[in-house]
Amino acid sequence: MAKQPKQTMSRALQRREDIAGYLFMLPSLIFFLGFVIIPMFMCIGMSFTDANLNAKTATTFVGLTNFINLWQDAVFLDALKNTFLLVVVTVPAVTLFSLWVSSAIYKMKMPVLSTFRCIFYLPVVTGSVAVTVVWKWIFDNYTGILNTALKGMGLIEKNINWLGTDGIAIWCIILIMFTTYVGQPIVLYVSALGNVDQGLVEAAQVDGATDLQVFWKIKWPQIMPTTLYIVVITTINTFQCFALIQLLTEGGSGTNTVMFYIYRMAFKLTEQGGHFGYANAMGVVLAIFIAILSAIQFKLGEEK
Amino acid sequence: MKTLSGRSKAYKIFSVILLVLLALFFLFPLYWIVTGAFKPAADIYAKEPVWWPSEWVTTNFDNLFNKRTAPLWELAVPFSSYFAGKPVYFSVGPTVPAAFRWLVNTVFMAVTAMIFTCITAAMAGYALAKKRFRGRGILFALIVCAMALPKQVILIPLLKEMGALKLMNNLWAVIFPTIGWPFGVFLMKQFSESIPGEILEAARVDGSSELRTFTTIVVPMVKPGIGALAIFTFINSWNDYFMQLIMLTGGSQFTIALGIATLQAETSIDMGLLMAGAALASIPIIIIFLIFQKYFTQGITMGAVKG
Amino acid sequence: MKRSKLVSLLLAGSMLLGLAACGGGSTTTPAPAESKAAEPAQSQAAEPAADTEITLWTYPIGNWGVEAEVNKLMDQFKADTGITVKVEYLAYADGDDKVNAALSAKSAPDLIMEGPERLVANWGAAGHMVDLSDMIDDTDKKEINAACLTACTTADGKVYEYPVVMTAHCMAINKQAFEAADALQYVDLENHTWTTENFIKAVEALSVKFDDVGAVYCKGQGGDQGTRALVNNLYGGTFTNAEHTAYTWDDPLNIKALEQLKSMKGINFDASLAGGDEIAKFYQGALQMAFCWNIAQQLNPNAANTGAEKTVTGDDIVFMSFPSENGESKLQGGIWGFGIFDNGDQAKIDAAKTFIKYFADSEHTVDAVKTANYFAARSAAEGTDLSGIWADNEIMNEYNKLMPYLGDYYQVTKGWAQARTEWWTMLQEVGKGADVGTVVAQYAGNANAAAK
Repeated sequence: MAKQPKQTMSRALQRREDIAGYLFMLPSLIFFLGFVIIPMFMCIGMSFTDANLNAKTATTFVGLTNFINLWQDAVFLDALKNTFLLVVVTVPAVTLFSLWVSSAIYKMKMPVLSTFRCIFYLPVVTGSVAVTVVWKWIFDNYTGILNTALKGMGLIEKNINWLGTDGIAIWCIILIMFTTYVGQPIVLYVSALGNVDQGLVEAAQVDGATDLQVFWKIKWPQIMPTTLYIVVITTINTFQCFALIQLLTEGGSGTNTVMFYIYRMAFKLTEQGGHFGYANAMGVVLAIFIAILSAIQFKLGEEK
Repeated sequence: MKTLSGRSKAYKIFSVILLVLLALFFLFPLYWIVTGAFKPAADIYAKEPVWWPSEWVTTNFDNLFNKRTAPLWELAVPFSSYFAGKPVYFSVGPTVPAAFRWLVNTVFMAVTAMIFTCITAAMAGYALAKKRFRGRGILFALIVCAMALPKQVILIPLLKEMGALKLMNNLWAVIFPTIGWPFGVFLMKQFSESIPGEILEAARVDGSSELRTFTTIVVPMVKPGIGALAIFTFINSWNDYFMQLIMLTGGSQFTIALGIATLQAETSIDMGLLMAGAALASIPIIIIFLIFQKYFTQGITMGAVKG
Repeated sequence: MKRSKLVSLLLAGSMLLGLAACGGGSTTTPAPAESKAAEPAQSQAAEPAADTEITLWTYPIGNWGVEAEVNKLMDQFKADTGITVKVEYLAYADGDDKVNAALSAKSAPDLIMEGPERLVANWGAAGHMVDLSDMIDDTDKKEINAACLTACTTADGKVYEYPVVMTAHCMAINKQAFEAADALQYVDLENHTWTTENFIKAVEALSVKFDDVGAVYCKGQGGDQGTRALVNNLYGGTFTNAEHTAYTWDDPLNIKALEQLKSMKGINFDASLAGGDEIAKFYQGALQMAFCWNIAQQLNPNAANTGAEKTVTGDDIVFMSFPSENGESKLQGGIWGFGIFDNGDQAKIDAAKTFIKYFADSEHTVDAVKTANYFAARSAAEGTDLSGIWADNEIMNEYNKLMPYLGDYYQVTKGWAQARTEWWTMLQEVGKGADVGTVVAQYAGNANAAAK
């Protein structure tokens, strides 16, 4: 008996909360659903069709054909391999490098510290396109800065075709990507290291712990959340790397990635070009891989 | 003890030297852009790179500015093309080098995306954190999942959508997906969690309307979060070359990054012109960055702590 | 406090500026697309052409890539017809991507200027182009170069491109470098020809003095006509059969040529260069010969405006036909003209046709041709004789010596876009040191699969 009015109360309250909640969500939802979720479902839908640029043929449902073809497409498999190479190398490199730089600079005095932090952040604000234009010049085969410098120092005799040789080009891409990715992690680590509980550090030092021990036993656990965040965003950013490849190698010399291959498949003027169904199938496969990877990273982070 | 401190001192010196070298390495692209922009053609085309301009000239900028032109602004009567068959302008700016228009476009795009994202994300984040509405769990899960999605994956559907909305070659086609990107909502939810429920309850008892509660109580409390998000969105939008490449096809709608990339595609050869373009693309934002450096670092840190 | 005030002021300021600058711009740009829907009602007006706005996207074809020059033509056109033309400039590196993206978003331009290999073999075949055969009467058929017209026409008689200009692609050498290496003796400077034997000797002589003599560039499809012509002519191989139904570049003669080139010191198979980059390296003096050359380059090397026939250091550039066993090579033709995208708006299509008539078949054709820096694709246009328009230009006259070597225009073979991708990918493989016979068979096979 007594329950009855309370329930209506809460139902009214629930309605109020519903209305208020959705009204507040509405502006954001319009954009989120309109420009992220709907395209995502369209992408999944299109991946089961042979949608293409040809105005003369109608789009038909082809089931899993695109996905089956993907596993027989040597170019795709190669691109997949390269994409994972980028992630596997870049993520640890960025994390370790920024951790080292941060621990070297975080105790420095303010103007010096912020100068270093600024410099390492510079490639991020300069923008990937502007940076790429310089790197293209650095790696140029005939009149490039790197070849000239190396020849001047007597380290090489013949020009090395940095961006035109399999097995070298991708490492050039990784290097450039590395310089444009470390800025944010350094800022984060500097602040995280600064927030480490000094009392614990001092106590350990009194007990005779070495610097290395202090780092692993006390600092590392405390900056773990920052590390996790850095690993996750660097992974996502690496998967999204596009401008470098488009502007430097166009996917040649063993630098094709899934991201670039999707673009090429969709818009390059080839006979396969404009095959949206196939390109979308690649997108779906990629999204699944990223989801799995992110889930693993989160799981690992939580366990720690 | 002594040897140990000696060793750590040696390590310190070594690390400082290494840091300075690395800093020079990171500064190099900027140095090359700035000097390159002012090198005469003879230096640019020299078979061996010239490290310092033999003479400081502005020919590269002249070439850049003379290459393409565009009106500095174009204000059309809204929807005029629907009733007049073509756009009716009530104001068209003076014709200027297209590079200026690209800069204006880029600023407009980044600032608009920033403002819209901050407003929508602050509202949605607050609702997700503090309103117990039904379907909230599913929505939040969807948002978390979508965060890791690379934009290339949805590029073709987005393109078709923008075509249908008649937004192709339009800055809004780049701005809208940026606003829709769920990171902002996620971030603002984390910030809104820390608002004490009692304050909100008290406001409601006082008869404050939902909107009033939001603007007078919630917004001031999540202000640092909004600042962080603003910086995040601004940088991301400024650098989001991919979306710009796909959505913008016409010279007067380009952003500066896209403009430079197109120049590179057209004249991969005139490196002087490209350096001038790169300088124009990077110097303004570097200046903004240096002025607001403190806010940038704060914003980035705060975003990460909560994200 | 002061800081935050400054911040908000700056933000407000830039916001205002931005809104003023682009808020309008963004509503204007979709206009071409929007007006399409509105147009049918509009076009009931008696004069469909006047007061219309159409868009033209052009690749950098001579000075058709230079805004100041194109504006002159468009202003004249507007004064004469009342039609406004909005021009956008595409680059070869990513122009195709832009057109394809626009096509998939249904916002393609009205007019496009390029060659039959794109307009006919690709967008035409995919059903995006308007048939222009009604614009070509018997007089036109007599006036337009027969090979050009054939290339612009599909098998079932549809014309997807109205040709304006044509040329023969060639190669170029650095005269001073050849002199320095004592290699000028291998070159017939009078007739601009040489034999394969002499080419090999010349490269040998040059490679003693220079690390890099020439580059078989293969970063992408840009400028691939040069590498094709080089390989085909060296020992007389062919790229397709005469009927344009199959790719024949797995011909043993081509394999022999590729093996020869691969073995030559000074010739690099370079996957970091596309055709445009190669021209730049040649212009800089880093390469001593360029395979991606034509008359427009000869008139304005590297588009750098530093004088005709000169490299940046002032060396003389001599254009040459490709080396072949008897010295009489078959040069690759280049054809450029206009096509119309079918956006379903008759008024725009009519306006676009007016545009084509104006620039491709009237007294104004002279200006269109001269702007392109190539030869006219027709002998006369509506009574204006076009054969002598370059008579006062010495370089053009000299270049005429190469025009008789113009070979088959095979770029309209089915599966062309795929075939050229296979071609440069194959060159990359050869450059890596793969067995030439095997990769040639493999990639030519892929191309032939696309031709079916």
